[in-house]
Amino acid sequence: MRTIIRREFLGHVKSLQFAVLLVLAVVLFVANALVFVGSYRGQTERFEKAMAMKGQGTSTRITGVVRRPNSLTFIAEAGDPERPGGYTVMPGGTLMAESAGSRTFKLPDVPALDWSLIIGTLFSLYAVLLGFQAVSGEKERGTLRLVLSNPVGRARFLTAKYLTILLALAVPLAVGLLVNLVLVGLLVPQVLTLDVLARIALVVLIGLTYLSLFAFLSLLVSSLIHRSSLVLLTLLASWLLFTIIIPSSSVVIVDKLSSAANEIQVARMFEPMVQKEVWDRINAIVARAQKGEFGSEAEIQAAADKAFEEGQIKVNAFYEDFARAQEERARTAKNVARMSPAALFQFAVEDTVRTGDGAERDFLDQVQEYARSYDAYILKKLGKVVQTSRFSFSTSFDFQGRRMQLHSPRPEEYSGDKSDFPRFVERTATIGRSLRSALSDLAGLLVWNILLAGLAFSAFLRTDVR
Amino acid sequence: MLKTIIGREVLDHLKSARFQIALLITGILAVTTTLINVQDYAVRHQNYLDAQKELRSEGFEISVFREPQVLSVLARGKDRDFGDQARLSYMSVPSQLTGYMNVSRGRSRSLAQLAAIDFTFLVRVILSLFVVFLAYGAVSEEKANGTLRLAMANALPRDKLLLGKLLAGLVVVGGVLAFAALLSLLVIVLHPAVSFSTSDWVRAALILAGSALYLSLFYGLGLFVSVITDRPATSLLVLLQLWIVLVIIYPNLSVRAAEHVYPLPSEDVVLAQKQAVSERFQAAIQRANEGISRPSPTSTDRLQSLEAWSGEAVEMAKVDEEFGRRQSRQMRRAEVLSLLSPAAVYDQAANRLARTDIREYDRFMGGVRRLWDAFVGRYKLRITDPEAYKQTPLPDFSYRSDPTAEAVAATWPQWMLLVVINLVLFALAYTGFLRKDLR
Repeated sequence: MRTIIRREFLGHVKSLQFAVLLVLAVVLFVANALVFVGSYRGQTERFEKAMAMKGQGTSTRITGVVRRPNSLTFIAEAGDPERPGGYTVMPGGTLMAESAGSRTFKLPDVPALDWSLIIGTLFSLYAVLLGFQAVSGEKERGTLRLVLSNPVGRARFLTAKYLTILLALAVPLAVGLLVNLVLVGLLVPQVLTLDVLARIALVVLIGLTYLSLFAFLSLLVSSLIHRSSLVLLTLLASWLLFTIIIPSSSVVIVDKLSSAANEIQVARMFEPMVQKEVWDRINAIVARAQKGEFGSEAEIQAAADKAFEEGQIKVNAFYEDFARAQEERARTAKNVARMSPAALFQFAVEDTVRTGDGAERDFLDQVQEYARSYDAYILKKLGKVVQTSRFSFSTSFDFQGRRMQLHSPRPEEYSGDKSDFPRFVERTATIGRSLRSALSDLAGLLVWNILLAGLAFSAFLRTDVR
Repeated sequence: MLKTIIGREVLDHLKSARFQIALLITGILAVTTTLINVQDYAVRHQNYLDAQKELRSEGFEISVFREPQVLSVLARGKDRDFGDQARLSYMSVPSQLTGYMNVSRGRSRSLAQLAAIDFTFLVRVILSLFVVFLAYGAVSEEKANGTLRLAMANALPRDKLLLGKLLAGLVVVGGVLAFAALLSLLVIVLHPAVSFSTSDWVRAALILAGSALYLSLFYGLGLFVSVITDRPATSLLVLLQLWIVLVIIYPNLSVRAAEHVYPLPSEDVVLAQKQAVSERFQAAIQRANEGISRPSPTSTDRLQSLEAWSGEAVEMAKVDEEFGRRQSRQMRRAEVLSLLSPAAVYDQAANRLARTDIREYDRFMGGVRRLWDAFVGRYKLRITDPEAYKQTPLPDFSYRSDPTAEAVAATWPQWMLLVVINLVLFALAYTGFLRKDLR
């Protein structure tokens, strides 16, 4: 068996595919490191400046939290630059995301050049290129009969083939990763902590599991079809289906599948909702005022404050429902994409390095938790929390011959000692938690592996060697 | 003689299993992707119509909605990502479009950056791959089989044989493309929600012609590699790696390079510029606010407020517009850098013709800006001259969409580039074949 592996591996090393893969791996991993170092330095600088300049402020009217730049975006960027960089927090749990939207949206759409792309797209393709001839090539050359006439079991032969494909992929991968980590380690050494290295080891493991699936797929198709060029064509078609077509179509398909309301449906309900929840209440108060039911302006404003606050709870709830509907659609899109092992790999890596939708949700949860402690602080200091929303409303009407302005309640500023002002401290998910969230996708990859391995072995054991 | 060669070659291709598999996959993908895109367009267009009907507001704030481009069913480009509406008030000039909820676009960010799967994707990625499979064996396989020597033993000039192979390949490639296009267009024509105007048909035809050019380029490349290598397996592997670099890797790297060679001003710089603007207007706005919150503000007070706020909005918009221009410049430079990849060239030209590229977006935003000026001008009348205000309705939103003639004029250098590469590759294959050792 060792002989076969050595022979096969040397065959791969001499091949053109191997040389090109090695070169591409080094070029792409170097590009990835340089791009990351540039953007990470910029992000860190901005983050530190933001913290130093305004810190968090200690206002009881409005405050804000800033998200710490993620140091692992070079492994899986997962749209990180477009995710909220922080939130404005106002009393009553009103949160406003900061700077969503991409600065580079005018550039041609190309996926981020991160590890998950290099492994997920390029290495999987080379798994196919290195593996498609494994059986069919030997059959065409007539060497398969010769090899199997030796006392080598078929299963053992296929295992050797499988291991050499993985080995031929692992070597360029290891070289690329090493170059990448050396560059990152030299230029931004603070990134490579022990926790990060453990996560990287996990990512490599997930990557190998993913690539192994393509190795089994190659062996399966190679055993089933006799002509190598047809094997390759079939494999490339499946590769395109898995890595590009299914994940890319999922976002469009989900618009048909998802039962959650889409944006226009929500937008249509918005104006009537504000009318009912805010203006109808205020108009009723104005009408009562004009009938003379209130004695003074202060009474009117107090009634209006109460009405506004009740309304704003509804306005906030409306936005929360909208956000939930969007999340629901995004989740459905991801589940559709999960049909493809490439998406399973992508999501498992995102979870492992705590980027992606899970991390965004996690940060938002922390901000909401902080908003509650902010409210508790305000309640303690001022005795009441004014319900805010992302809108301020105002209107004016004539009251007892004078123009009276009604506006949504404004939070008060506490002027006493603020040394116990609650601070936001961001917690990042522990490696155990990250792994737990990645587990289902990882299990999916394993299932693919077992399935394809079973099929490949049964196909090869039954193949006609002549 | 030439006819015989072409006939034989075409027949050979048609009989081959790889051709039949390719045709099957192409057919399935052409129908499904077009169907998905057509339905997606139908939904987006219906949303646009509903928004026009139900979400228009009058008065302090008005909304402008963007109609999805009908040709996005063939070349989606960025049509789904531009955003759907712009909100205008005299207090701010919109710097970019938002979704219908006027908050940032809701989409799954992990998946959003992936390429659109549409007809141009089918041509750019899948058909080009099939062309590689059709072309790789043209010469090297005959050489490996030994039939090349036999063929040349006849009274057949070398150039004629190669020409025959070339033309036969182009016929087959053209046939596959026509098949895919026919299926896609059939889906489009049969779907009630999509109707092409004459100029849309012209554009679609141009995209199709460009697709033929692009695919013939890959055939030329295949022929060339097939001529210079002796074993079909080698030529296939060489071609596949070239394909990976040209179609997948280089376009990505060129965008990353543009991003870093031509950086945008950082968020801090833009923020500082905006802060400077707001400081300049702080006093004026404060004065205006005092005036307007008096018990009975006069029309001068209201006009002062309007002018202070809209003056600030214009200055803010200048900062945004400058940033937008920088973004557009960066985009154009990325396009120039990616010219080495025919896939990127094809993509740019197709999206330009389909009006789904950034230039169309910039034109739209120009229209929004003009409407804003008209809107604020009219708002002033509301204060100074209510009668005239009632008599001058706000002009309907319109913008000058990229005219077909201009799109053609702008994309022809890109098509010419593809033609030139085509010719160069054929010339290389030709000279290579004339000199080839046939033993």
